[in-house]
Amino acid sequence: MSTPAHDMGRKDASFEREPARRVFASELRECRYQFKDGEDEKSPTFVLLPTGERCNRIFIVGTLTEKQRQGDQNMFYRGRVVDPTGTFFIMAGSYQPEAMQQLAKIETPAFVAVIGKPSVYRKDEASSPMVSVRVESINIVDKDTRDLWVLDTAERTLDRIEAFAVGTAPDVLKAKEQYPTIDPVTFKKIAYDALAQIKI
Amino acid sequence: MDFSEAADRISRKFQKSGQTIDPKKIEGKLRRLIEEFSVQPSEAERSVTNELAKEFNIPSMGTGSAGSSGTGSSGTEDKKIADAAPGEWVTIEGKIVALAAPASPSIAQGGIIADDSGAIRFVAWAKANAPAMAVGSWYRIESAVVDEFKGIASLKIHSGTTIKEIEEDRALMPTTVPISELHPGIGSLRAKVVQEWDVTHERMLQSGLLGDETGTLKFVIWKEPGKESLIPGSVYNIFYAQVDEYNGRLSLNLNTAMIMQEEGDIEVSGGEAAVSGAIVHVAPGSGIIKRCPVEGCNRALSRQNYCPVHEIQPKFTYDLRIKGWLDNGKKTHSVLLQRDVVESLTGISLDAAKEIAENNPLGMDEVFLQMRDKILGRYFSCHGREIDNRVLVNKCGPVTFESGKHTALLNRAGGAS
Repeated sequence: MSTPAHDMGRKDASFEREPARRVFASELRECRYQFKDGEDEKSPTFVLLPTGERCNRIFIVGTLTEKQRQGDQNMFYRGRVVDPTGTFFIMAGSYQPEAMQQLAKIETPAFVAVIGKPSVYRKDEASSPMVSVRVESINIVDKDTRDLWVLDTAERTLDRIEAFAVGTAPDVLKAKEQYPTIDPVTFKKIAYDALAQIKI
Repeated sequence: MDFSEAADRISRKFQKSGQTIDPKKIEGKLRRLIEEFSVQPSEAERSVTNELAKEFNIPSMGTGSAGSSGTGSSGTEDKKIADAAPGEWVTIEGKIVALAAPASPSIAQGGIIADDSGAIRFVAWAKANAPAMAVGSWYRIESAVVDEFKGIASLKIHSGTTIKEIEEDRALMPTTVPISELHPGIGSLRAKVVQEWDVTHERMLQSGLLGDETGTLKFVIWKEPGKESLIPGSVYNIFYAQVDEYNGRLSLNLNTAMIMQEEGDIEVSGGEAAVSGAIVHVAPGSGIIKRCPVEGCNRALSRQNYCPVHEIQPKFTYDLRIKGWLDNGKKTHSVLLQRDVVESLTGISLDAAKEIAENNPLGMDEVFLQMRDKILGRYFSCHGREIDNRVLVNKCGPVTFESGKHTALLNRAGGAS
């Protein structure tokens, strides 16, 4: 009595959470292409990394160097998180009250872990695109965690560069089309420099 | 207006399923709907067909407009049980392998019938006036209907069905399938009891986890005379268990099953999982929680000390747990940390957490916040049993910096440039 129709919904029913991708600031900064997966209003939005992986959520660890409260009616916080390769721009608004309170509480400078959603935006028509990260959660961590994150992120970045060289995955093809002037091998050098900064 | 043509059509349809209905009676029903209630003729035909189908306990006959009925058209050819698809009229020969107490007075008999191809649940309606069938005997069941309830096929014995006992005793050996290949319905398997869980209901005799080389699944045995608990660690042959599906997960109800303990052991695979990554989310319901003190319940209580089964329980017991997401950049695992793991990871013991919960103005929230601050965004390596994408962690520790890995990555990154 195996009627295949029965288990069709079975795999679909289990919801898979979008993993938090690991990416260095200098790679995230290069992102220009953002897309929706599906027609739905609720469909997730992805930013395409130049190394050919989509990310809806990222996990970063770095030093929170600055934070600033902005706006009156719609208060929100902006911050800068620095990794060995560059700067992430993070923000938390009233839609993320918990993240905003956390961010408000943290004294700079501090090692922080941030889980958030990247998006590409322009201040106005004339300015060049920026990538910012809307914070879902932020927490103070230690230097060990930062070092582990650099290892982790270097490894994932190298994985992506290798997959890019093979060049068959749909997102890799999309990245080649969207970022014709970027050679992912530059991120290999960046990963090396980031790793070399860790002193044992 | 002439209703005889439509009436004939309906009457013929029921003849196929062994019912003789006077076309005059049908005509009267149609006339009433169309003339008195201004119902569209096609809709009237459909509605009368369904009304009669209900009366005779036959699953829906379809739209019936212009006689284009999809169901019932396959007639009543002899079928193997495994080939019986929902919506079909079938004739099968099988052995009654289990009977269950009828769930409603409109059901005369329910159980499981099997042949060498498989097994299917059956229901004999009280209105069908079918002869009672006995466990272990073979029957030829003509013109029964296969339908589907909650994705599980079952055989309906209605008043148009004929049942004949088959005298000869045919051999029937159920074939067991690996756990990963079970489908909702009826299944036979050989598996080991890998876990015994607290029973969560007073009618429940036992629940736990069965496993074989291909995976694990939950089982339950309800209290019934003659039912015995399984022994954890033992291997059993289980024939004709009910495989249910809930929220996309399969589980086994063993009450109908034939269970035989067996010598030997099974290497249970799946389950044991080692995952490492960063904690990217600590879910509400983590920290210190209250549990229901009723023997065998142990459910988490709400803030108002309310147990979903035993209501208000002021004499709750405290416990620690963390529900969260451990993410390695490729996949997010849902993890559930038990008390001792939480204590060692956060450095907050149950007693210390109790102290905070009872004396801090934020109460239990304060425990949640302190624990979250200790683990969110940090790297951990967890071991435990994985069930449906959730790892029940029994061992967990922080990931430490490996200089060997560091060197290897430096080589990898510097290698080709």
